Amino acid sequence: MPLSVSLSIEGDTTVIELAGELDAKTAPEFHQTIEKAAGHGTGTVEIRMAGVGYMASAGLRSLVFAQQKVADHVTIKVVGAIEPVSRTIRTAGLDRSIVLSDE
Amino acid sequence: MSDMVELARTPAELEVPATVGALGDIASFVLRLAGRAALDKGAAYRIRLAVDELATNIVMHGYRGGDGRITVRGRSGPGRVQISITDSAPAFDPVEGCLPPAPGTPPERRRVGGLGIHLALTSVDEFSYERRDGRNISTLTVKAEGTDPCPPRP
Repeated sequence: MPLSVSLSIEGDTTVIELAGELDAKTAPEFHQTIEKAAGHGTGTVEIRMAGVGYMASAGLRSLVFAQQKVADHVTIKVVGAIEPVSRTIRTAGLDRSIVLSDE
Repeated sequence: MSDMVELARTPAELEVPATVGALGDIASFVLRLAGRAALDKGAAYRIRLAVDELATNIVMHGYRGGDGRITVRGRSGPGRVQISITDSAPAFDPVEGCLPPAPGTPPERRRVGGLGIHLALTSVDEFSYERRDGRNISTLTVKAEGTDPCPPRP
């Protein structure tokens, strides 16, 4: 299943909205969008994942990449991830540096 | 009754080229078996994730982008799915290649590759590996949530 990725700016927040499946095949698209988002210089990068039904470790790699690309003071938020997706993020220990939020 | 008797005698089989593009076919194959075994959403997700991570690892690191094949065989039974993944890449035991997460390590120095294997192994209920006739064979079993191997009679 393909991945759809959109990028917008809402005030001081860069919003990336994902829908579909995030795996080794589709993660490069997410990667490219993160690169653009990191260049916007907002205080928060919010990744809306409610529409993501599946995420493999390739998606984790993208989230780690996001942490590497943004400045230290920028908050990365993952919003609305379904339970197995947030479990994957927690298993990798990324919930210590990325804010996981239900809404 | 042994576990294997409860599983289908003839495994379903899928052979694909070891490419990123074939991972979707493997996922569809696994989800079909999960559906046949009436696994709930959580268990179906776990078996899909585990097989996807191991297959991705074979594509990326086993064959290192070269030509190769991956054979996936699956058996389903009431409340469980057993999948074996076979490849002819150099010997690789996922249990030895498993890299637990290192929360103390800064993100920029984390190796995410080993985490894929960790995700796979923590997603399944049973796992075994063997090297036979120049092939790696990983066998994974996922049971439906709350499956009891010997349920009480009503």
